[in-house]
Amino acid sequence: MMYDVIVVGAGPAGSAAAFKAAKMGARTLVVERGSEPGAKNVSGAMVRVEDLSLFDVKTLPAEREVKRVRLVLGGDLQVEIKPKERLVNVGRLKLDKWMASQAESAGALVITKTTALKVTPEGIITDRGPVSGKSIVLAEGANAILSIGSGLRRDLRPEETVQTVKEVYSLNKDEVNKRFGLTGDQEGIAVRYLFQDPVPGAGFLYTYRDSVAFGIGVHMSSLISHRIRPQDVLEEVKRSLGIQELVKGFSLREYSAKIIPENGFPSWRPCQGNVYLAGDALGLVNPITFNGIGPAVISGGLAGEHAVNGECHEYETSLLRDRIISQSVKVRPLVRELLNERVMRNYISMATNLSSSWVSGDLSMTPLKENSFTLLKHVLLLMGATS
Amino acid sequence: MRVEEKLYTLRYKRDEEPHLRIINPQQCLECEREYGQPQPCISVCPANVYSWNGEKLILSYENCVECGACRIACPFHNISWNYPRYGLGMSLRYG
Ligand SMILES: Cc1cc2nc3c(=O)[nH]c(=O)nc-3n(C[C@H](O)[C@H](O)[C@H](O)COP(=O)(O)OP(=O)(O)OC[C@H]3O[C@@H](n4cnc5c(N)ncnc54)[C@H](O)[C@@H]3O)c2cc1C
Ligand code: SF4
Ligand code: SF4
Repeated sequence: MMYDVIVVGAGPAGSAAAFKAAKMGARTLVVERGSEPGAKNVSGAMVRVEDLSLFDVKTLPAEREVKRVRLVLGGDLQVEIKPKERLVNVGRLKLDKWMASQAESAGALVITKTTALKVTPEGIITDRGPVSGKSIVLAEGANAILSIGSGLRRDLRPEETVQTVKEVYSLNKDEVNKRFGLTGDQEGIAVRYLFQDPVPGAGFLYTYRDSVAFGIGVHMSSLISHRIRPQDVLEEVKRSLGIQELVKGFSLREYSAKIIPENGFPSWRPCQGNVYLAGDALGLVNPITFNGIGPAVISGGLAGEHAVNGECHEYETSLLRDRIISQSVKVRPLVRELLNERVMRNYISMATNLSSSWVSGDLSMTPLKENSFTLLKHVLLLMGATS
Repeated sequence: MRVEEKLYTLRYKRDEEPHLRIINPQQCLECEREYGQPQPCISVCPANVYSWNGEKLILSYENCVECGACRIACPFHNISWNYPRYGLGMSLRYG
């Protein structure tokens, strides 16, 4: 059987590509290495429902609606906003299964427990044998060994890679509501933390219906230079931010980890010949807004569409035209600036100073005056994503 | 809680064939001289897959959570990284 489009990976990017291609009438195959879509994937996750509008979002398996986003800087400064857009917390297994089933309903064939090993001129080779196809969409995520092996892009470097570790704690929904001041089982909260000890990094807390996810992301180069392991950073941060208190009595349900790419398109080309990259494989995460699923779905949809007609050039221009994707691209310089270890330390202590001096009525601190504009810009950027 | 205990929350199906391999063990000695201990691959691994016995790296590949970090962290590109076959390895419930 000759497929029109073969998609590698049933994550958000892959399922969006397959959904779109199948809708256009193309014979579409998805190969996924996990035992089911999502079984290998890690996220918070909080998503902007609008970014998923390619799919039928009425049936989206959301855990809770995010009604408040709280930013916690260094433990002392807290800002809370009401998001203007619809944000939800979702578990990846449910989300990915839902997306893949939509691709299947559109006519795509999804084969699990199958790993693609190599891209060939005729299609792909998997650990269960070769499959032929006219176009290939590599939606293999951040650990993009196929894309790298095919010479489509280079590997990530430690300084452009964030290592994350995440834990899920569960109890019953009433207890989740009580601890987070939520008024019902549908309402949720998202918290983002910036910390600087033992190494600077960012944390997130999301509410599922009957559980809570907490995780951190730190630069790989910080881990290497400080010779500290991510799991040890997680434990220290949980202590210093009071997370242990917050989840007291909850039991640990899952521990997971994954890398996040912080570089990529447009310095990496999104396609070559009949091979297309989408989502994390193309490095589209926006680390300021923590939005990776949105760009993955959008780029996947565009890749699927253009792969059907063999339009590599059009795919590239369509990515640049998209608002969400171009946002990811535009924040790259800021990300490099903000996530630099020294700068990040400065900001966090400055923000803490700012808040305490403001509270005590003293606004004459010089470093603040000098930096407050940039600080404000950065904080707004951090928050802006969700507002 | 130790990482080994945390890993109990995951479902693992072991691939008898290791999916991670050190390409040149000699290189790790040089790495230890240059970077000291723990070496980069040990520092970034959230599942304690790598440990150093003073002479060489020991790999507990069956604990791997497939995060993708160690290959990137190794300054000598000394890790051959493949996925476990047929979807073996770890599986998540929440993700
Ligand atoms: C801890 C953490 C928290 C995050 N929080 C958020 C958040 O709150 N909101 C948000 O929008 N984003 C978040 N992100 C980012 C988001 O997870 C990613 O950007 C998104 O998953 C990218 O989607 P993708 O489809 O490109 O890749 P993935 O979701 O990684 O999917 C890739 C798929 O390909 C499969 N695969 C890989 N290689 C092969 C192969 N060779 N053969 C067959 N199958 C293969 C994998 O099993 C997987 O199913 C977070 C990331 C992390 C790590
Ligand atoms: S980082 Fe690379 S070279 Fe160094 S010990 Fe680890 S595998 Fe060996
Ligand atoms: S992929 Fe991640 S969990 Fe597996 S050995 Fe490498 S660093 Fe450790």
